[in-house]
Amino acid sequence: MGQITATLGKTIKEFLRQKTILFWTIAWPILWVLIGSFSFVGNAPSEVVSYIRGAIAISMSVFALMTAGMANLPGNIAQDRERGLLSKLMSMPINPWRDFVGRILALLAFSSLAAILVTLVGYGCGARFSYSPIGLLQSIGFLLLIALASAGIGMLIGTLIKHVHGAIMSGVGIAVVTAAISGVMTPYSSLPWLLQQFARIYPISSSSSSITFLLVGEDYAGYNPLSANQTTLTIVISLLLFIGGLVAYSRFCWRKE
Amino acid sequence: MDAISVEKLTKKYGDNEVLKGVNLKVAEGEFYALMGPNGSGKTTLAAIIVSVRSPTSGKIEIYGKKPENAKELIGYVPQENFSSPNLTGKENLMYFAGLLGYSKNTSEKTVNELLKKIGLSEDADKRVINYSGGMRKKLEVATALFPGIKILILDEPTTGLDPSARRKFLGLIQELRKDKATVLLITHIGADAELASRVGLIDEGKIIAEDEPERLKKASDLKDVINIETTIKSEKVAEILSKFSEKKKVLETDVGYRVYCENVEVAAPEIVRSLDAIGCKATKIETEKPSLEDVFFKLTEKMVREVS
Repeated sequence: MGQITATLGKTIKEFLRQKTILFWTIAWPILWVLIGSFSFVGNAPSEVVSYIRGAIAISMSVFALMTAGMANLPGNIAQDRERGLLSKLMSMPINPWRDFVGRILALLAFSSLAAILVTLVGYGCGARFSYSPIGLLQSIGFLLLIALASAGIGMLIGTLIKHVHGAIMSGVGIAVVTAAISGVMTPYSSLPWLLQQFARIYPISSSSSSITFLLVGEDYAGYNPLSANQTTLTIVISLLLFIGGLVAYSRFCWRKE
Repeated sequence: MDAISVEKLTKKYGDNEVLKGVNLKVAEGEFYALMGPNGSGKTTLAAIIVSVRSPTSGKIEIYGKKPENAKELIGYVPQENFSSPNLTGKENLMYFAGLLGYSKNTSEKTVNELLKKIGLSEDADKRVINYSGGMRKKLEVATALFPGIKILILDEPTTGLDPSARRKFLGLIQELRKDKATVLLITHIGADAELASRVGLIDEGKIIAEDEPERLKKASDLKDVINIETTIKSEKVAEILSKFSEKKKVLETDVGYRVYCENVEVAAPEIVRSLDAIGCKATKIETEKPSLEDVFFKLTEKMVREVS
């Protein structure tokens, strides 16, 4: 059993055994899928209701990934630092990079579980998607970008904010506010011009729009986020956020004072 | 060869010099206690020895190696409860076994042996959140007992434990000594330090005295101690008591005072009378032999433990 497997196992068990994490990452988005699927489609024509439900399921799956990366991951890092585990680990003959990989794999596994459960509930509520196998693979790629960008932001929060509750609340705050103003939770077309520009730069929102475009259709995405420039921008900013978080985590969390 | 060798170690945070040229040698198999008050630099010294912090200057060797190259020889137990409350005791140890590169089968066997050694086999599958403070600390000590680890560094392990849990925990440390492990105990509790074969007293970043516990007490020249509990604690009470105490030194404790006397039999009734005269009752008087905390007080005029 290697260091990566050990960290992966420990982190995922911690995620799955904390009721607050389960509530905010899985139950809360599911609740909104249930509410949204029956409350927000009242006046819509019957032929589009299932697609609106599909768009709602996608946005809440994205929100689940955001919460996992931006709140659960920094909470986990801050908790390990606050309770002296990082000091203990620094005294041991172990590699910080393997610890990092273990944490990220745990996050990806937990995020996938959350996204799958939210999507399944959406499907159960009548959400329907129209997709090709390639479109499905592309969507999984965009989901991965969302997870990486969220993890990058999460690692920055976990590095900069020392206290557990501070780290979690900051992550939840950033996830909720950015989801609200970037079109993850609201239709892109209803955003003012400035926020529409933000939605295109913010990689989580543009990835979310890409998935909606691929699985539900352009009308529900509000614009075509799959242009070469937009896709490149989404990939580059997602990776920059992830690398930025990774550098901050490895340099400052594991730094000898 | 010394297990731990520290020479002229300094550590500065800005202008604040936390360690001021510390020299320390711990022989293989020795139980050494480093005792000092909060802020004396003892935790910083331990953190430097285990490579968690870096020194400003000085030399540290672990079995002749630099600390960062000797991590596999050291088992460090920080002051905080670092075990995961959401995992079981066994899962916590399996995590550390994995970090140390044990295969699944070897982990299982080693972890079961460790759980048996620390007396937690029956509670191995309970989540740590349901453990008592003493059980949790034992579990954390077990993370420093994997085969191959030669030096156990314990930072304030009994802080926060009730007296019974503290006794059981110290019993475990004594048991571990039978395996000839080298132990460096960081503490501010004199009774804990007295279990060690050698004690270093640290204050303001310097080791001010170092010897076997009994020899330190003998060298302090302290005679008897009157431990007195009073209905009132005030400057006036302390002033009266100081008249009966050697060099007018009185140590304030959680519940009263410690008075250092030449002749207890003469001083005790006088103390009761003098306190009565100002309306203060002595609710309990005991005579004791001086402790290491008294020795520290005599040397520094400071208490090792804060009075709550």
